[in-house]
This record gives sequence, structure tokens and C-alpha cells, in this order.
Amino acid sequence: MISRRDVIKWGAVAPAIAAGSQAAFAQAPQGLDAFMLDTRYVDSLPTEHAGIPAICFAGDVTKPWFDTLDPAWRQRGYVLGGITGSDALFVLQSLAQQQGRRVVSQTQLGEKDERGVYPVSWVIAPVHPSVTA
Amino acid sequence: MTTPPGMTDADFADGLGAMRSAVGADWVFDQPADLNTYRDFYSVLWGEPEEKRASAAVAPANVEEVQQVVRIANERQIPIYPISTGRNLGYGGSAPVLSGSVVLDLKRMNRILEVNESNCSCLVEPGVSYFDMYRHLQETGSKLWIDCPDPGWGSLVGNALDSGGGYTAAGYRGHWEAVCGIESVMADGEVLRTGMGALPGSETWQQYRMGLGPCLDGLFRQSSLGVVTKMGFYMFPQPEAYLTGSIDVFRYEDLEELVDLLNELEYGNLFNGMPGIGSPVLSQDNPIAMTMIPPADEMNRMVQETGLAAWRASFTFYGPEKVIRAQWEHVKERHAHFQGVKFNEGDFITLPLSAEDMERIAKPRFGVPSLEIFFVGSRGFGNFNPSDGHIWFSAVIPRSGKGIIEANRVMRRECERLGLDLFMFAPAVTCWTRSFVLFAAVPVYKDPAKNQHLRESVREIIDICAQHGWGEYRCPPAFMDDVMDAYSFGDHKLRRVNEQIKDALDPNGILSAGRYGVWPKHLRDGRGA
Ligand SMILES: Cc1cc2nc3c(=O)[nH]c(=O)nc-3n(C[C@H](O)[C@H](O)[C@H](O)COP(=O)(O)OP(=O)(O)OC[C@H]3O[C@@H](n4cnc5c(N)ncnc54)[C@H](O)[C@@H]3O)c2cc1C
Repeated sequence: MISRRDVIKWGAVAPAIAAGSQAAFAQAPQGLDAFMLDTRYVDSLPTEHAGIPAICFAGDVTKPWFDTLDPAWRQRGYVLGGITGSDALFVLQSLAQQQGRRVVSQTQLGEKDERGVYPVSWVIAPVHPSVTA
Repeated sequence: MTTPPGMTDADFADGLGAMRSAVGADWVFDQPADLNTYRDFYSVLWGEPEEKRASAAVAPANVEEVQQVVRIANERQIPIYPISTGRNLGYGGSAPVLSGSVVLDLKRMNRILEVNESNCSCLVEPGVSYFDMYRHLQETGSKLWIDCPDPGWGSLVGNALDSGGGYTAAGYRGHWEAVCGIESVMADGEVLRTGMGALPGSETWQQYRMGLGPCLDGLFRQSSLGVVTKMGFYMFPQPEAYLTGSIDVFRYEDLEELVDLLNELEYGNLFNGMPGIGSPVLSQDNPIAMTMIPPADEMNRMVQETGLAAWRASFTFYGPEKVIRAQWEHVKERHAHFQGVKFNEGDFITLPLSAEDMERIAKPRFGVPSLEIFFVGSRGFGNFNPSDGHIWFSAVIPRSGKGIIEANRVMRRECERLGLDLFMFAPAVTCWTRSFVLFAAVPVYKDPAKNQHLRESVREIIDICAQHGWGEYRCPPAFMDDVMDAYSFGDHKLRRVNEQIKDALDPNGILSAGRYGVWPKHLRDGRGA
């Protein structure tokens, strides 16, 4: 399990990572628009951090994507950070690509389980001109 | 940069330049990071020189732009490969069959052109996903259902064109069977409408499928003959209720009659939902992977020792409560004579779904798209990790007890001999009318040596199945030639007629070269190699 402190630390460093070489991310000066937190890996959840809402789910991305991300990804902008299982990231990444977005940074945070799934932190940002802010 | 086979870099750059003028520079992709998204993440050739890769991708916004791109490709003989949402994981993803093709990505053509409540039909563009349609139906308060495959992120058009399947009522869950009316841009850039769509002003395009003369819809199923830009579908009016029931029988010998009865009841319209045949005793360790069917006495002994049923027939009913309860009673009556038979009434659910029901049901059975399938592994069904990948092996077998037993034994025995892993194995999937399709999910690797073994083994399995008269209904690109070879009646007349049609309709061979084993003339000898 990743602790609340780690989540917050990650939240603090993610914009800095992105500000380095990721041009797309740099276009979102306030940093992240939302966090996605996979409750299979993150305990004691913050509902928000520094005013950024946290979207919590337990592995299956259907509902958060349908309710929140799909409508947001139809608009310009929207930089999303997450700590999730690599399986959830695989699905989100594929959905994001369809909507002009890409994983611009990712870091493995723990060991693989017996299925080969591991916790990972990441940032998905708009890259196509039709959706960059 | 990969270029299409036989083209110079300069000619290809010129062609892409023309495509940029047609669709706008932002919608032509030729950079590695973009092209990466058009790789088949579940490719059995991953990272090998033969991996099927796009040279570029072009995303037109409307039919006119599609026509322009096709004309540009035809003039310059640039191979193009249309996809709708490109989510064909397990059967090729969004990669072309011929490496170096330009992927024609139709995701921007995502308009729902019509949902006709009284006709119970829709007309959509290729980029409309099941989720898009579901959202639209919810927002408009529609009384219609879609039928979706397990992952709802694909498209009505792409899935139907590859002959995909879902889980609701007969006539809808075989997705090609629900198609009514196609519009396609042909290789010469002209637009064809099939069925009643060919008659200007007709209001019956999504009603009467056949139109006049030969029914041309089939030209576009699993084909390389057009870029489909509109498709009509019949839609299922939301039923009042849903009921499931299953029937357990306890002797190996019961299977033949169990299947015959299932067939009679389904073909006589006594139930309309998706039926199933399984074996509790042979699936006790893993509910999604039936083990080898042992000899009769051994199986009967296992049944006695465990108390688990030898076979289970499951039934699904959609309709008014009174009707479906009566149907279930009738189905039970027809099975009452089996020795030791047990009836299990499953879910009864009134519709529309309550929020509570929505949380617990298998969503695709209710026309609700979902991505939950990618997380079944985390709920303990098998060892499925979506990012590892797998291919589907899906062979049409006889719809009989004997068919199940023989196919199960041959597949299990041969996969074991070849050392081929299966993480899901279901011998009798019934998405398609009057058929059993044997499904096996075969794990794919990111390791060339393992994948080489996988490819050789799958080819052997395709041959072995063919020797038994079983052929795949659909397959990943790496095996399309092998599967088409198996349909060999009349010295491969099926393939030869397909090639004649290909040559007539697409003489420059620009569209979807190699799809399902049909190559254009100039690539035929080497099959694209
Ligand atoms: C875990 C898992 C579960 C799955 N379960 C199911 C299931 O239940 N049922 C099922 O059917 N599939 C299933 N699949 C397979 C696949 O994911 C779906 O069939 C998916 O809907 C196909 O992708 P798509 O709809 O984006 O089609 P696309 O990828 O867009 O199209 C498929 C092919 O059709 C052709 N094509 C597409 N659009 C056009 C066009 N406009 N003109 C001409 N040719 C075109 C192309 O050759 C293309 O490669 C599953 C896959 C996975 C990984």
C-alpha cells in the first residue's frame, strides 16, 4: 500500500517533473486538474490535494472515465495525474490516445503481483493541437 | 520512417502531402510517438521485423474527406487500412494487415445520425463507440438498447465489420446479423449505399435489408473492398424484465440430448437470450476454463465424488414477466425427465435497471457498455493482466453434444502437446445464431522466442481444426492466410472468387490488403511479404 504521505509527495513533485521536458504539461500552469487514485493501492485517501479533486476507484476505470474523464477529455486541456494499477493505466492510456492525449510520465511504484500488475504513478496530458489548452 | 512496400520516400511524402491538404495537417500522423498508438499491443509479432506497422495515419472528418484520401491513395497506389475505433485487441488492434499501409482512422466521424424509436434502429458513423451510443440513449431517454461486446470502447461499425458478438437477445448479439444498410466509399472514391439506401428518398434503409438484386452487404464483412462510412443497425427495444435459469444434469451421457433440446427450444423461439452449455465439474478450479472432458465412466465418477453437475444448460429470457416466467416453466418441463435433474432459478430483474442492480449485474447482458472485463483478473477469474495481451482463437464447431466433446478433447490434447497456454477456454459460445464457437484465449508475450512458438503452435492448431472441419470465424492478422487456406473447398474457390472481386473493385489493390487472406494482384504471390 502507498501511504497518504506518498500520495501527497507525488502530488507535489508531479508538476515539477512535467515542467522539465514535457511541453504539453507545461501548458497547464496550475499543474494537475485531477488525481486518479486506485484504492487497490492507495490507502487513507485524500479527497483532494491543494484544491485538486481526487477521483477514487477500485481497478475498473469504467465509471470514472464515463462520468468524468470522457466529458473532460472532449474539451481542451485537462491534465490528469494518477496512482493506479498498471492494468488500469493500460486501459486509461488507450482511452486517452483516442482523445488526443498521452502518458507523459510514469514511474513504477512497487513490485509486480502474480498477474504482473504493479502500482504506477503517471501523468496523462493533452498533446494533439485539437485538445491542448 | 516506414514507407509502403515498393514506394520511394519521395512519392510517399508527396502522397502524404496531398492527404494533408485534404484533411488538414493536424490530422496526418507520421511521427514515431503517434504511430506507436497504431501498433497492435497484443501482436504475436511484437518487436520483430515482421510486426505489422503503419507508415502513417490519416484521420478524415467526413465522407468527402474520405473520398479525397481514397482518390489520392488510388492515384498513387498507396495502401490504406481503414479502422473505426481501432480497439480490435486480440484480433489485430489498430495495426494494418500489410505493414507500411496508411491507417485511415475514422474516429473523428463519430456522429449518431439517427436513432429511430419507432423503427428500433439507428444509423451511425464509424467512430461512434458503444459508450457514445449508450450516452446518447441515456440522455435522450430512449427505450432502445444496444448490444455491446465485453469491452464497450469499440465501435458499432468496426466490431460488426469484424463480425463481433455480444450478449443480449438473438438477432442483436451477432453484430453482423443486426446490420441493416451500409454506405461505403469504394476504391475509386465513389460512394455505394446498399439495400434500400440505393433508392434516393427511401425511408426504409434501416428496415428492409436486402434491397434489390444480390445482397451486397456481405462485400464489406471481414473484407478489403471499401471504407464503410455509415452503417444502420436494428436495436432491441428495452424489455420489461430479465430472467435467467440453469439446468443441471448429472451424467456424461446427457450432453447430446441437452444440446438437442437447447437447439429445439431456441430455434422454436421459446427463449430469446443467450444460452450456454458448461460443465460445473470440469470448471471447478477455474470457472472460465473447462478442463479436458474425460471418458464417460471417469466423468461420472467425478460427478459422484463432488456432487457437481456433469453439464449445465443456462437460459436467458427477455420480455414481460408473465411471458418469461411461463417460458422458463416450459423449459423446465421439457427437461424434467433427465435423471436427477436440478433446476436453478437465477436472477429476475425488472427493467430499466435500478442503481443497485447496475452495480451487480454483468453489464453487457443489459446493453450497458463497460470496461470491467479488463479487471476480471483482479476478481480472481484467471490470471488476466490486460497489458500482457492475448489472442483469441475462435473456431466454429458443430452445435451438438458430440461437437463439444470432440472439440474440447482435440483442443485440450493438442494445446497440451504443443505447450500452448490457455487462460480462458469455453467450447460453446453462442453469440452467433445457430452456432457454437469454441473460444480460447492464448496469452501473447513481449518475447520473440515465446511468440514464435505461439505462432507455430497456433498454425498447427488451425490445421488440426481444419482436418476436423472446424474453421475460425475471425482471427488476428498473423493467421489470416492460414485460416483462409483452411476454407479450401473446390481448390480454394472461396479465396479465388474473393480475389476476382477484389481485382474488379479495387484494381490497384489499395484497400486493406491481405485482410482475411485476400491479397491484391501485385502482392498475391508473396502474400504481402
Ligand atoms: C478482454 C477482451 C474482451 C473482448 N471481448 C469481445 C467480445 O465480447 N466480443 C467481440 O466481438 N470482441 C471482443 N473483443 C475483441 C475486440 O476488442 C472488439 O471486437 C472490438 O470492438 C473491436 O474493435 P473496434 O470496434 O474498435 O473495431 P476496429 O478495430 O475499428 O475494426 C476492426 C477491423 O474492421 C475493419 N474496419 C473497421 N472499420 C472499418 C471501416 N469503417 N471500413 C472498412 N473496414 C473497417 C478493419 O479491418 C479493422 O481492423 C475483446 C477483446 C479483449 C481484449
